[in-house]
Amino acid sequence: MTRALQNRAQWIVPCALLGALLTALPQRSRGADDPRQWLEKMNQALATRNYDGTFFHLSEGRVETMRIVHRVRAGRVTERLQSLDGSGREFVRANDELTCYLPDQHTVLVEQSTVGGPFLGSLPQFGASVNDSYRIEALPPTRILGRPVQVIAVNPKDQFRFGYRLWLDESTAMPLKTQLCDPRGQVIEQIFFARLEMPENIPDSDLAPTVHTDGMRWVRQGPSRDNASAALGAYRASELPPGFRLTIAGAQTLGTGSAPASHLVYSDGLATVSVFVEEPQSPAPAVGLPDAPAQPADAPMQGLARVGSGYAFTTVIQGHQVVAVGQVPAQTVEFIAHSVKIYGAGELPSR
Amino acid sequence: MSDQIREQVSAFLDGELPDSETELLLKRLTRDGELRESFGRYALIGEALRGEGAAILTKSFALRVNHAIDGEPAVSPAAPQGTPERRWWRPLAGVSVAAGVAAVAIVALQQRAISPGLRSAPATAQNAVQNPSAAHEKLSYTVPDSTGETRSAIAPARLTNYVFAHSKYSSGLGQRGVLADMLIEDDEPQSRTPERAAPPLSPDVHTAP
Repeated sequence: MTRALQNRAQWIVPCALLGALLTALPQRSRGADDPRQWLEKMNQALATRNYDGTFFHLSEGRVETMRIVHRVRAGRVTERLQSLDGSGREFVRANDELTCYLPDQHTVLVEQSTVGGPFLGSLPQFGASVNDSYRIEALPPTRILGRPVQVIAVNPKDQFRFGYRLWLDESTAMPLKTQLCDPRGQVIEQIFFARLEMPENIPDSDLAPTVHTDGMRWVRQGPSRDNASAALGAYRASELPPGFRLTIAGAQTLGTGSAPASHLVYSDGLATVSVFVEEPQSPAPAVGLPDAPAQPADAPMQGLARVGSGYAFTTVIQGHQVVAVGQVPAQTVEFIAHSVKIYGAGELPSR
Repeated sequence: MSDQIREQVSAFLDGELPDSETELLLKRLTRDGELRESFGRYALIGEALRGEGAAILTKSFALRVNHAIDGEPAVSPAAPQGTPERRWWRPLAGVSVAAGVAAVAIVALQQRAISPGLRSAPATAQNAVQNPSAAHEKLSYTVPDSTGETRSAIAPARLTNYVFAHSKYSSGLGQRGVLADMLIEDDEPQSRTPERAAPPLSPDVHTAP
């Protein structure tokens, strides 16, 4: 009996050590050095902290200076993103409404948003699906603006998506510098802060638009309230690039006409592609001018266009205008747009 | 760019510029468009030297670097001489880029074609339109047309609404990128006539009093 106890005691310590080690291992993998945890901390900082910063937006040798102001007060999020040079354009988001002031186009776009996020953006929660499409790794720490930073690389595993490199402030997890990279790792867009403050309070005046809207045209967009929109949605991409899946299907009122467009959102967990499908339009009567002649419907768009650091691909399928747009490589929007199929009743696939 | 400014920019890009000088440099960059252009090119050179994302140096990239170093006009192989390389919201740039990615797309096509369940029949936007009923039967992994001849121009303003509507569904950093891109001024001259520059009227449109 005594020997048995002694034998058992001999195993207790190693087992306890092994147990402690096994317990510690997962913690280590999700510890302070875990790149995914750093990304989640960045998420939280961007969504919940007050910040006011000026950053440079670089792309292909062109530089724009922009200011971002983000305030969270009593659960209410207000943000302002402003171009400090050039266009004078501004975005202001107050909870669910996003307003885009385009003084150079004499236009104000208003989007009734149901899904929001900070302008600076945050990466989504990194589930297993993201690991299928991206390889996330920590690079050697460095310093930016005199502050120690963690460097995280999000590398795409194939040619259908872009990657990121992020320099996160060690004390706040705020991204002081971000790079958008093409599938080969070449930087196509870069943002870095020259000034970043995280004040306790931000006055209303810092969140008010500076654009004068006198005489501007206001265009309101948003989820369609039209009952007919229920009939929409008989469209899906019949095939998708690896890792992409349907996340949202609905109807969207666009400023381009009175008929709502079917809006499909496909995502791989990080990259997102929107697909808009519009039914063939007959000439639209002029709004507000009963005696005015009808306006001819716009000719369908066809082709590839670069929009910022992403792409839009437009085509016509069975008379329907199809537009795929996203911050993804050209081949991704082209692939998805071409695979859009019109389904009959009961044939609609779920994905 | 003077040597002093060059040193400041270099220190800034390396994260070694004191905060007080950073503030001054920022103010200067905000005021001086020419300096911003130089700064952008200098940032590219810095990245090339540090090897950040420049493992693959494209010809156009090398030309831009040469331009920044020598002051020689940069001539992109993808853009006619005298045409700015970067045309935000301009479809022609998209066509040029499409030509640039064609090689990549072909590789992807060849790789994907051997995967079970994936069709490889190439098609173009044009035949998708001419034969719509067969379009989605043929199309799978499509190779962008290298010449761009089948593509037509798209008015940038027509895409603004789509990009704007997409922006709220863009996840995370993508959304910031999309919105930041929308803030950037188009290179092409904007129409002075609101009716041409803005989207057509819809029932939800009104003109501010």
